[in-house]
Parts: sequence; structure tokens; C-alpha cells
Amino acid sequence: MNSGTPSSSAGAPGSAESAAPRRNSKRPKYSRFTQQELPACKPILTPKWVISAFLLVSVVFIPIGVVSLFASRDVVEIIDRYETECIPLDSRNNKTGFMWSNADKTCNRIITVTKHMKQPIYVYYQLDNFYQNHRRYVKSRSDQQLRNPGNERDISTCSPEDTTPEGLPIVPCGLIAWSMFNDTYSLSRNNQQLGINKRGISWQSDRDRKFGKGVFPKNFQNGTAPGGAKLNESIPLSEQEDLIVWMRTAALPTFRKLYGKIEVDLQAGDVINVTLQNNYNTYNFNGKKKLVLSTTSWLGGKNDFMGIAYLTVGGLCFCLAMGFMLIYLIKPRQLGDPSYLSWNRNPGGH
Amino acid sequence: MKRYVYINDDNLAQDLYCDNRISNRKYTIWNFLPKNLWEQFSRFMNQYFLLIACLQLWSLITPVNPASTWGPLIFIFAVSAIKEAWDDYNRYLSDKKANEKEVWIVRQGIRKLIQAQDVRVGNIVWLRENDEVPCDLVLLGTADPQGICYVETAALDGETDLKTRVIPSACMGIDIELLHKIKGVIECPGPDKDIRRLDANMRLFPPFLDNDMFPLTIKNTLLQSCYLRNTEWACGVAVYTGNETKLGMCRGVPEPKLTAVDAMIDKLTGAIFVFQIVVVIVLGIAGNVWKDTEARKLWYVRYPKQGPWYELLIIPLRFELLCSIMIPISIKVSLDLVKGLYAKFIDWDDHMVDLETKTRSNAANTAISEDLGQVEYILTDKTGTLTENKMIFKRCCISGRFYGNENGDALTDTELLNAVSSGSADVIRFLKVMAICNTVIPVRSKSGAISYKAQSQDEEALVRAAARLHMVLANKNGNILEINLNASLLQYEVLDILEFTSERKRMSVVVKDCQSGKIFLLSKGADEAILPHSHAGQEIRTYAETVEQYAQLGLRTLCLAWRELDDDEYQEWALMFKDANSTLIDREWRVAEACQRLEHDLEILGVAAIEDRLQDGVPETIATLRKAGINFWMLTGDKQNTAIQIALSCNFVSPEPKGQLLMVDGKTEDEVCRSLERVLLTMRITNTEPKDVAFVVDGWALEIALKHYRKAFTELAILSRTAICCRVTPSQKAQLVELLKTCDYRTLAIGDGGNDVRMIQQADIGVGISGREGLQAARAADYSIGKFRFLKRLILVHGRYSYNRTAFLSQYSFYKSLLICFIQIFFSFISGVSGTSLFNSVSLMAYNVFYTSVPVLVSVLDKDLSERTVMQHPQILFYCQAGRLLNPSTFAGWFGRSLFHAIVVFAITIHSYALEKSEMEEVSMVALSGCIWLQAFVVALETNSFTVLQHLAIWGNLVGFYAINWIVSAIPSSGMYTIMFRLCKQPLYWITMILIVAAGMGPVLALKYFRYTYRSSKINILQQAERLGGPILSLGNIESQTRTLEKDLSPLSISLPKNRNSSVYEPLLTESPNSTRRSLGAGAPFDFFQSQSRLSTNYSRNCKDN
Repeated sequence: MNSGTPSSSAGAPGSAESAAPRRNSKRPKYSRFTQQELPACKPILTPKWVISAFLLVSVVFIPIGVVSLFASRDVVEIIDRYETECIPLDSRNNKTGFMWSNADKTCNRIITVTKHMKQPIYVYYQLDNFYQNHRRYVKSRSDQQLRNPGNERDISTCSPEDTTPEGLPIVPCGLIAWSMFNDTYSLSRNNQQLGINKRGISWQSDRDRKFGKGVFPKNFQNGTAPGGAKLNESIPLSEQEDLIVWMRTAALPTFRKLYGKIEVDLQAGDVINVTLQNNYNTYNFNGKKKLVLSTTSWLGGKNDFMGIAYLTVGGLCFCLAMGFMLIYLIKPRQLGDPSYLSWNRNPGGH
Repeated sequence: MKRYVYINDDNLAQDLYCDNRISNRKYTIWNFLPKNLWEQFSRFMNQYFLLIACLQLWSLITPVNPASTWGPLIFIFAVSAIKEAWDDYNRYLSDKKANEKEVWIVRQGIRKLIQAQDVRVGNIVWLRENDEVPCDLVLLGTADPQGICYVETAALDGETDLKTRVIPSACMGIDIELLHKIKGVIECPGPDKDIRRLDANMRLFPPFLDNDMFPLTIKNTLLQSCYLRNTEWACGVAVYTGNETKLGMCRGVPEPKLTAVDAMIDKLTGAIFVFQIVVVIVLGIAGNVWKDTEARKLWYVRYPKQGPWYELLIIPLRFELLCSIMIPISIKVSLDLVKGLYAKFIDWDDHMVDLETKTRSNAANTAISEDLGQVEYILTDKTGTLTENKMIFKRCCISGRFYGNENGDALTDTELLNAVSSGSADVIRFLKVMAICNTVIPVRSKSGAISYKAQSQDEEALVRAAARLHMVLANKNGNILEINLNASLLQYEVLDILEFTSERKRMSVVVKDCQSGKIFLLSKGADEAILPHSHAGQEIRTYAETVEQYAQLGLRTLCLAWRELDDDEYQEWALMFKDANSTLIDREWRVAEACQRLEHDLEILGVAAIEDRLQDGVPETIATLRKAGINFWMLTGDKQNTAIQIALSCNFVSPEPKGQLLMVDGKTEDEVCRSLERVLLTMRITNTEPKDVAFVVDGWALEIALKHYRKAFTELAILSRTAICCRVTPSQKAQLVELLKTCDYRTLAIGDGGNDVRMIQQADIGVGISGREGLQAARAADYSIGKFRFLKRLILVHGRYSYNRTAFLSQYSFYKSLLICFIQIFFSFISGVSGTSLFNSVSLMAYNVFYTSVPVLVSVLDKDLSERTVMQHPQILFYCQAGRLLNPSTFAGWFGRSLFHAIVVFAITIHSYALEKSEMEEVSMVALSGCIWLQAFVVALETNSFTVLQHLAIWGNLVGFYAINWIVSAIPSSGMYTIMFRLCKQPLYWITMILIVAAGMGPVLALKYFRYTYRSSKINILQQAERLGGPILSLGNIESQTRTLEKDLSPLSISLPKNRNSSVYEPLLTESPNSTRRSLGAGAPFDFFQSQSRLSTNYSRNCKDN
């Protein structure tokens, strides 16, 4: 009964040959495609191939991990969490009330530099548990209005911070702009003012294209609901860099935004006095506020994740490679062994 | 609902009935849009997408721009609509061609040429030789003085022989001039689709005849789409026109077929939908809770104290929209595209071209290629499907002497040729019967060559053979028959024809020798119908043995006999015969009885053996396909013996003692019941024995069994791998298909004639052989092939590849949609469960439409195993049959993979782009690029063979992704202005991508490698063997070579193994046949074992135990 096999396998190429001249003359170009006979490379997962792939990955990944880890460790980062300390002791059980009051919110913090920091040193503020990615929040802006002075009434997406109670359009409208961060920091070292350069902290492309040169703040923070920072109405939006930075919403509830740059080196042991205005209310949702001074590396700020992840993956690949090697050596298995085809293990037993 | 047709009445309002416009169109210009949209929206998936698209118009809840859904949706609908419109336009064109054909009709007594579509009921239509009949006509006159004309009905019932039609007796003798003026009325039933029946009456008005009613039968009609042959002209009155003709009523749109794969995809879609609803509910509740507890504290979000009444619904609806991408909108388009390409591959395949007739295979139904790979039962017609349907006279036995036994062809047997030339009386008589005793019509072409038109292929074969042996039937002129024998002309007058009926199983003619005036009775027929009527004392045993011997060789046998009649005897009988012929009650029976009176004391002249040759490669094809685990049923209208002989010669069943045939027979309910029970009992017992058991049933018993013992018969059908059903009608064929379908088997019906059309349409897959019996089966079929042997390639190569490719493509489509959806869900947990979309509208739309659908489309070129390997190891088809590559468990694997990959992408993205780098657009693009990289590698890992196109699509797509995003990033007004440029400049971005790929693919590769090497499936083993040049292939050759030798030794005894492992049938004995399938498909541990046993059983059943 099996005789079908040779004749069929012989028959198929046979008919192919007989059909070949016609095919070649008629449809030479794409016939290999139509006959599904395009030359193909058919790799299979041989032990050699797989083990060396895993070895290769580990060999590449472990050095990258080490380099990334070193890069991250080179970054000097000073974090000062201040949201609780900056509330006077007697107001600490009613922090929100304190924030709404007209009390003086000036607060002094002292930071000690632990390690030499090369300029430029970036000054960030970090907010925790702040949902800039909340749907209601992230949509509440009008790019048209920000870009073009003629579009100041383009506020349909800005609700509920779109118009003043009188119906005048707010520029810049929307919850994002309205809730802008308004703590301010001034740093001094040895009673000497440390200049914080606030120019060039936003993206060049945003200043050029997204925020119009002719768009000036209007009716901003005039509403009943007190929001965040107020804007100088005589400066066009394209130069309001704090706003531009703030408007680049963060995807995560914990984020840092650039406050400015210090363009001098800081020495180890330097003591820095920070005078800050603790204006921004994060107390009713337990948000943390931190001041961060950080240098940078080729990978960005201090972040050990990359290094650790690379080392882990590299290590695991090495383990896998070793494991497969061991299995391969201990229990070699011939690939394509016909005895593994169950229909060849036929009970007839030859 | 009778209709009265007034012949040739121009005055009557003829708008009563429709005109003769044929319309196969589905749409008109006006109803196209609404009707097509309605059809498309009757599918669940489309309704779902429409609902989602409509919800997205509500800006309060939509996470992204509505265009991201509307765009693809409109595109998809447009593609489907254009395809439909194109098909319909083609139908319109072919209709138009038929409608505008010109025909002659009579108007006011004058013949006129009009377009076919303007023919009205009551018009007299004139046809000339070789004209196509434009509508159903009742014959009124022909060129033949006896009122006979010949038609070819191939387009109607697929039979290529000529049929005679006669004019009603009322019109006999009306001359051609008067025919133009004839008036009368025909009373006929309303339109129906029965092409074998017409019960009508005709009454001609004076002056033609008196007011007598004349009965009309189907013999008096010319039906639409037949061709007039061998008749100079004919005319008839139109009784049914347009779509009300018999053919038009038969037409009807066949139900669209749904493949098992489609059903599975629908099921999985349903499961995903449920999962989606669960996710939406959970996230919706979580979102509302979070909103009430946490979000109200976020002063910067400014939730209003009191929202609208539907406030609670907003967040769940947002998540519904966010999760709507779980069900990939692209899957329908992708599947349509690849299915179209599968069909094209079948059309293009050079290995499936019938070189004799130059016909290519054709896939008329482009949607069901995957089903070919999942066939479990093949129901095949016999004549013309397994056999060539070319009857050739091969051997004969005349007066005890055998001719053609040595060289297998009597026509070249010198002994016979010598006997003819020497004028041996026995041989000459034998040849005379061959030449005369038939209803063949010789047609002399202009060049003088004679061709024969016959109703029966057997008769044609006999006449042809006689002509080759110098007994040439030269002319038939009325009753006078002329025969050329060695240049001398013999004339015979045909006195009577005792026609063939299936009960009598013989036919005879009474002829008078014009020279001598002697009267002879010439008979031919089946042995059981002739031999008992031989005259006493004749040795009939040799003939019986001869018949037996010929039948063993698979030849059709006919016994030829004759008797000289006395004049008186004949005259007496002729009266009786005439009498019987003109009775109205029980005419058939009385005629048969009259014939019986004459057909006795016959002198047996000999036995003629006719071969209906098996098509090339039929036994091999059946063997291969059975090895692939496909069960075969033969359904034939032919008689039992022939069917069994053919079945034996083409590996269908094995001869004793290896095989066993069980007969289900009986004429009454009781008999059938008893025989059925007996067979069932044997079947259950022999399950454990190494026997190849098949059951044989004839049409009569089948009728009873299906009607009264359906349950028992169903069990029998499940138990038996092989069945032979003989003497079955077309509708019974369809019933059997239906029966197997209700048992949840995938059926393939293959046939070539009009009688197979219903079975072909009924089966999951219909395959038509575009053979000698016309093209009707091929037209009704989903696939038409030139030869039976192409079925092997159709199933094993095209079906299997299609299934594999679709299985990958559909699951991959779900994988990539789930991947991006899971990321959205994870993101919602760090965005206050508020329903923010991480990805922007452009990315989401492009992700489904471009980035992920292009690489996977080239998987239509993927081949897991080479065609050669599959052909050598057809058992591998089991993976497709049992649905091993697309089922809930494989899907769970893909689901898990998408979850894992989503976690990898999301976790790595938010950790590497944390804090000062957590800008929304950047994070979004990093996550999206991570998905794109991963999916490129997933496609690469799952691809078995890389052609240039695959490399181009996979890696080109990756390049394309960056190109598109750079372009979008260069547009200032877009949200992601400059984002991609910024990212590509950061080393962090690139090492993040590398990390995502390594972390995502590492485990997948390790798992795949482990399974591939240490838990390999049969496919893996064959892949390894094929690509490393392992020993399997050579092994296959050796095995088959030994088997060839075996076969040469005993051509008909097909050896079977001792089958000790026949667990395959045991699960089938359980109550529900579905249970087997389910357990096979479920992928449970048990499943693996069972599959092995099933495979091994299939194999061992078919190979030799040595």
C-alpha cells in the first residue's frame, strides 16, 4: 500500500519537469512565487545555534550592564524631601488649612554635598503621587490656543478651566496650566547666592513651535478656584519656560521636572542653604515634594535599573546556555531521529 | 398553481409570467449599498466594531481619536464591498451575454430574430442544430419525420450522452408551414426544479385537431441550456422562462461555507470578548472606587461634586473603548487577503494541471482552503472520479475461447483478428450482436468518418470495438440499419427494441435480416439476467466462470446472446408487445412481462469485458490519504459488484482474508434492521481484530436505514472507516454527507457528474472533477481539479499549508492586539484607573493596520515542511485534522506570551524612563517601539522558512516603523513632534530596546528550543530530519520500495499489518462522537497519548507487518 509514496514523489517532480519548459517560457519571473518555490533559508533550532546565541547575549549584556551601572553610580544626586518639614509644627495636623491660609510659607533647608558635583548640575523638583496622567487632567489643554494668538477661543477641550465666570477665555486654558507648580527655590553656598539658570530648561522645539511667541497669558488664575502658579502677563508663552516644562505631562505618578541649572561645580562638603517658598499644595492627597540636585551621565540621571537589568538578563542567559549545554552533554538527542516518530514505532516490530 | 400557456397567441396579455431575462445577480445598483452593508453587519464581529466606532464619537469617553477606529473600519468594509461588487458585476456580464443571445421566434406567423431575454411564455421558438435552448420548451416539431430530435443535457444534469426527445403525438405530421400558425393551450404545473418530470397536458385548437387532451412528459420537452444535436431544426413553445425554468429553479445560492478554522476563530473571539467584558467590569469598578476615594482628593483634577446620572458608566465605557483593540480589527482583512492568496496558489499550481486537457485546478471558493487540511472523510463518486469514464472493450470469451487474455487487449489479439478474417461463424455472430444490439446512433461527419453517439458508454465501447474488428455500424436510417462487414454491406430492419431497465438488467432488439428475411432476437445484459434464460443443455458454467474471472480483474461484463425467431412466434409476440406498450396501467410491468416471453431459450454467444480504467494514481492517492488518517466512502449509482471490484482495485478495501466486507441489505424494514444489527455486532467485535472492515449498502437498504434506523446507521458510520454505497441516488448521497456532518466530521465530497452536485454542495468541501461528464460538478464545487490524483496534493500540500498559515496568522493577530491592550491596561493602573490611553491615536491605528499586519501577511509563504516530506509522511496531516495548531490550548500559549511580553515592555519602559524622563509622549513611543521590536522577533521565531519576501517584510517593516514615525515627528502640529528624533539620539533608548528584545525573546526561545529538542512534535522531528538530512527521508524510500515489490507480487492482495493497537476506535464507541474530537483538540496530556495511538494505528493499518 505504501507504494504510493515513491511513485508520487517521483511523479511530482516528473510533472514539474514536463511543465517546466512551458512555465519558463510563459511566466519566468514570478513563477517561483506562484509555485511557492522561492528559495528559502530554513533555520532550525540546533543546540549549537541556541547555546551560542545565549552565550553571545550574555557576553554582550554583562559588560553593558557593568558600564551602565558605573555610569549610574558616577551620577551624584542629592534629594531633599521637604513637604512635611516645611510646615510649621503647630500646623502639621492641618496642613491643607495651612496651605490655604495667608501665612508666610518660606522655609529654609540645608543640603550637604556629599561628593564633588561637576557642572552643569540640574535642579529638579520631584512630585510623588501626582497624577499628571489622569485622563481628566491630561486632556485638559488646548494646543491650538498655546500655539497661535488667533485661537484663544479654542478652548473646547479645556473644561473645567476654560473661561472665567464672565465667559472670557483663559489663556493658557485647562487644568494642566492652571495647576502649575509654584514652589520656588533659591540656593546659596557660604552665604553666596548660587545662580540657578532657568533659561533653556524646556525643549527647544516646544519654545519654537508649540508655544506661540505672540500668545500672552490672559485671565489666568483669575477664577474663584485657586490653582498653582500665576504667570506674568507681559511675557509671551514661548518664554514661560516653567509653564512649558510643566505642560510636558509625565506618564508616571512620580516624576521630576527641571527647575533650573547650576553652572558651577559643587565641592564635597559644601553646605547649601535653600530658601524655598512652599506654595504648592500636595497635602490633601499625600503627595511628596522633593528637591533634587543631580549631575548627569551618558545614560541620563541616576538610575541603576538599566545596569541591574542587563546584568540579570546576561546572567540568566549564561545560566540557560550552561543548562542547555549540560543537558546536551548528559542526554544527547539525535535531531530528526526517526524512532521518535510514533508511526514508525509500529507494533509489527521490525 | 397551474399555468395555462396559450400557444402562439400574440394578443393575450403575456405579462402574466416573467420574461426570459436570466439574472444571477445579488444586487442592483440601487440596493447595493444598503443590502451589502446589511449583510456585512449581520456578522457579530462587524456589529461589534460598529458599536465601538459609534461609542468613540462620544468625546467624553473616547480615549483616542475616533478616526483610529473609523479609518480601518471603513477600509475593511470598502474592501469587502468592492470584492462583492466586482463578483456581481461579472455575474451581470455573463447574464447579459446570455440574455442578448439572438433566437428565432414566431410573431404573427412570421419568423423573427429577437434577443433571448424577450422570449415570452407562449412564444414558438425555432432552434437549429447546435443551438442552445433559451428557455424551457414543449416540442412541437422537428426536422425528423418521426418527430425525434436529440439533445445534449450536459449543462443540466452533467450527462454528455445524447438524449432523444419526441414531439407530442398531437403534433405528429403537422408540416412546417402550419407550425407557424399552430394554436392551442398547454396546461402545466407551476415552475419547479424537477428536471426529470413534467406532468402536463396539451390541447390543440381546431383546425389542427379535435379538442382531445394529450399528455406531455419530460420526453416532449427541451429544457433551458441543453443543446440541440443531430437534428436540423426543432421548434417548441416556451412554457417556462427566465428564472422560472427548471434550471433557473435549481440554481439557488448555495449556503456560504464556514471553515472549522473560522468557527474556531469565532469561538476564540467570543472568549476574548468575554475576557474583555470581565476586564472592563473589573477596571470600571476599580476606576469608580478610585475616583470616589482618591481622585476627589486631587484638587488639580477638579472632579465635580455631582456628576450626571450616567456618571457611573463613564469609566467602564472608557475602558471598553480602550480594550476594544483586544479584538483585532485587522484580522478579517488579513484573513481575506491570505485566503485569496491560498486560492490563487491552487489556481497557479503547475503540479495540478491536467496535461491531457490542459485544465488547471481552480478554487472557486476562496474562503475554505484551511478546511482542506482538516478533512476527515472523503466521499467519492466512482465513475469518472476514480475511473476515467472511458469504457474500452478489453477482453471477450466467444464460445469458450478466450481472447485478449494474453496481452490484455482483445482488439489486438491476433487470434481474434484471424477468426474475424476467416469468418468464424461464432465470432461473426458475436460481433453482430455487439454492433446491432444497442441504441447507438452513428453520425457521419463531412469527411466521412463515423462517430458514435450513445446513451450508454458501454454500448459505445462495444460498437467501437466491433468497428475495429471490421463490423462497422455504418448507418441507421429509421428502422434500417446498415453494417459494413469486410466491405460487404448488410442491412437489417429493427423491428422492436426491448429497452434496458434496471430491473431487467438486459436489453434486446428484434431485427430482420433484409437479405434472408430471417428474424433474430439479439440480447445483451448482465450475467444474472442472461444466463438463466439460455436454452436447455447449453453449458453455461464456463461463462459464469468467465464472468467471475473478469470481474476479479475489475472489468464490467456483458453477456451476449441470440435466438432465431419463427415468423409466427414473432407475429404473435409482436401483437402482445404492442398491446402491453399501449396499456395505461402498469405499463412498465406489462412490457417487462412481454419481453420475458420472448427472451428465453437464448443461445449464449459469449462474454464481453469492458474496462473502465482507473485514473492514473488513484490507488496511490487513496493509500496516501488513508495513511493521512482520512476515511473514504464510495457512493456510486453503479451496481454492487462493479463497485466492489473497483473498490478492491483501488485500495479502497482489501480482499479476504485481510479485509472483510459486511453487507447491509434487505428489502423490508425487518430485514434491513436485522442485517444492520448483525453488521454492527461484527463491526464492534472486529474492532479489536486486525481486519479492514468495510460495509456495503445499496440504495434501497440505505433508504430504509436512514428512515427508520438512523441511530444504528450513524453508529455504523462512525465505526467504519470505509463504506461502499451502491445504487444510491443523488439525494441519498447528499443525505450521507449530511449524516457525517451531524457527527461533526469534516467531509469532502468529490464527484464529476450532475448527480454529484447535491453532495458536493452539501459537503464542507466540494471538489469537482472537470472530466468527461460535463462541467456541472466542477461549477458547483468549491474546487475543481482535472484528475482524482490531484486530490492528494490539494489536501496534503495546499490544505495543510493553508491551515498552518491561518492558524499562525489568526493567533498572532490576537497576540499583537492583546499585547498592546495589556500595556494599556497596566498603564491605567498607574494613571489613576481613569482610562487614559498611553498611546496616541496615530500609533494605535498604524499599529494594527501597518506595523503588525505586514510582516505576518508574508507568512502565506511559510512552509513548515517541504512538500516532499509531507507526501512521504502523510500521517503528519493529523496535526491539522485534529486542529492541533489552533485550539484553546495553543491560544492560551499565545495569550500567555502576549501577557508576558506586555509585562516586559511595560516594566522595562517605566523603569528606564522614570523620573525626569517620564515624559508622556516619550514613554509612549518607547513602549510602542518595544512592541514593534518584539513582534518582529516573534514573527521571525515562528517563521519556518525565510524567503526574501519574509526578510523584506519583517525587517523592512521595522525600518518602515521608524520611517513613518520620523515623518510624523517632523510635523509640528502632531503631538509627537520631534519625539522620535529625540529618542533615536539617546543611547538609553537603544539599550532599552535591546533589553526588551532580550528579556522578551530569551524565555520564549529557551522554551521553544526545549520543546523542539526534548519534547518534539512529529512536525519538529520531520523538520529536523529534512533540514539536517537525517535518516527519515531515506527510510521512507526504503520502506516504500519494499512495499512496491510486495505489490508487484500480488496485485490485488493488499497486505495489512497485525494491528495490535487499535485503540483508535474505542473512544468512538462512546455516546457522542464529538467527545473524541474534543479530547483530541483540547491539548490535554491524554490528548498526546491518544494522538500517538491514532497515528500509529493509522500507519500500522496501512503498512506491512514484516
